[in-house]
Amino acid sequence: MLLELDDVSKVYGVSCGNCLELTGDSSECAICPECNAVVAVNRVNLSVEENEIVGVVGESGSGKSTLLQMIYQDQKATSGEIYFNGLKDSNGNKLSLFNLPSGKTSWVRNHEMSMIYQNPHLGLNFNFSAGGNIAEKIIGSGEKRYQIIRDRALHFFGKIEMPTSRIDDYPEAFSGGQQQRIQIAKALSSSPRLLLLDEPTTGLDVSVQAKILDLIKALQYEMGFSMIVVSHDLGVINHLTDLTLVMKNGCLVEYGLTDQILEDPQHPYTQLLVSSKL
Amino acid sequence: MTTNKVTFGFFDEDAKKEIRRASLKAVALPGYIVPFASREMPIARGWGTGGLQVTLSLITEEDTLKVIDQGCDGSVNAVNIREFIVSVTGVKQTMATPEATVIQTRHRVPEYPLTSNQILVYQVPIPEVLTIVEPDTAKQKEMHASVDYSKLWVLLYEDTSQFGDSRISSRYPVRVNDHFVMDPSPIPKYDIPKLNNNPSLQLFGAGREKRIYAIPPYTKVEPLKFTDREFIIEDFGDKCCERCGATDVYLDEVHQEDGVHFFCSDTYHCDTNKNEVEDAA
Repeated sequence: MLLELDDVSKVYGVSCGNCLELTGDSSECAICPECNAVVAVNRVNLSVEENEIVGVVGESGSGKSTLLQMIYQDQKATSGEIYFNGLKDSNGNKLSLFNLPSGKTSWVRNHEMSMIYQNPHLGLNFNFSAGGNIAEKIIGSGEKRYQIIRDRALHFFGKIEMPTSRIDDYPEAFSGGQQQRIQIAKALSSSPRLLLLDEPTTGLDVSVQAKILDLIKALQYEMGFSMIVVSHDLGVINHLTDLTLVMKNGCLVEYGLTDQILEDPQHPYTQLLVSSKL
Repeated sequence: MTTNKVTFGFFDEDAKKEIRRASLKAVALPGYIVPFASREMPIARGWGTGGLQVTLSLITEEDTLKVIDQGCDGSVNAVNIREFIVSVTGVKQTMATPEATVIQTRHRVPEYPLTSNQILVYQVPIPEVLTIVEPDTAKQKEMHASVDYSKLWVLLYEDTSQFGDSRISSRYPVRVNDHFVMDPSPIPKYDIPKLNNNPSLQLFGAGREKRIYAIPPYTKVEPLKFTDREFIIEDFGDKCCERCGATDVYLDEVHQEDGVHFFCSDTYHCDTNKNEVEDAA
């Protein structure tokens, strides 16, 4: 088991204590009728195996990105635990990502996980060159030899089908699709166990979308890492993932094989989602 | 009725105590930046008030004071700071590095090796080494706490990939005691090796930024560099000081109408070297 989510919830605002019961799947929205707190993620349980590709779909505001950010520790969960790759404390008990000592947190973020954001401005540092951005991740994973860092940056820059002569250019000199590819190179350069993708192709034109999806798929096949892909585009989910979970109002409403969910949706919301596909 | 009695060292005892407390904390955590209540001084912030406050808080009647500005005892700032400190403490002043017990410096480490009886006080313009790569102070603290300096390393990477080596000539980041990375103040790269395992206590005061940090005596200090790259200090080739003939020192490059001239940056070292050469002749 690479990743295990145990009753993970995220509530924005001061909770009355009953928010999780009063909102969710069956109610109309994710705002608690008693205290007006927003329940972004409501008691989600999930496990991801090695090499598994999981898709997360749902309408905007359903908690997809918040879920991803909690796994990447950009945000802390209100309740629940996230276990990663058998991390244990000194007594041999399973250690949640939220209870890691601070040095270990950045170690997990730099060594074990990578995130690809929808907006390259979030994933790339525009004050550093493309190569510098890739180097940051490699250095963060502990490498302190220049030649190795440079060679690895060049290797991954080539992998994303960019001319290596442009490696020292700054991100603003690249197009949106190229920036997204640099993000992919950066994310993969530390050879992570888990790759988190938050709407990786939204906002790109379809031919570039297809190229980037093929690239991600090929690299996943080659390097072997698990992925969680957040998208509201069912085409992306269909193309990339083995398993899909459907979220609504912060709740996980349906979980299963991607083919099965797209062909035979059970939950009313999933049925609506699939039938709305253009 | 107010009394206008001048106290020893300009400050009242409470002020000195506060600065000493910050200094002690800084010594206890080598390279860690400690905030302190930087006071109004009779000189403007940015002109050495940090170093001045540290010096005034720790100087005693028995001390002998030396103040240098880029190695020079005679520049206007050095003279003014020295005379101010002497006027409020009455301590002995000197230009001779070995005679001094407290040395306040701007942007140089004296050429003459320091001893464990001496304290070197640096004037610091920008204490936080991470400012250039991370403007958010909360994130800076997290990065220090988790020893995450990868963004500084990226600067080294970029310089190395584009120019073959780091372009930083002064303020070269150093790692202290295998933990915190700090800004050594704008001393040249030439002086960086002198910080390592130095017998003297080194204190850094930033008045405008209200910060104090320290390198205790005999502490490991190493420049940030890739393990497969060498740390290269300034090399003056076959140039020597035109005044005293010294070659193994940091030289100032002086541009004049008749061309470029080289002189010792450390004036005391230049004077003693010149006398020795003349005595021998």
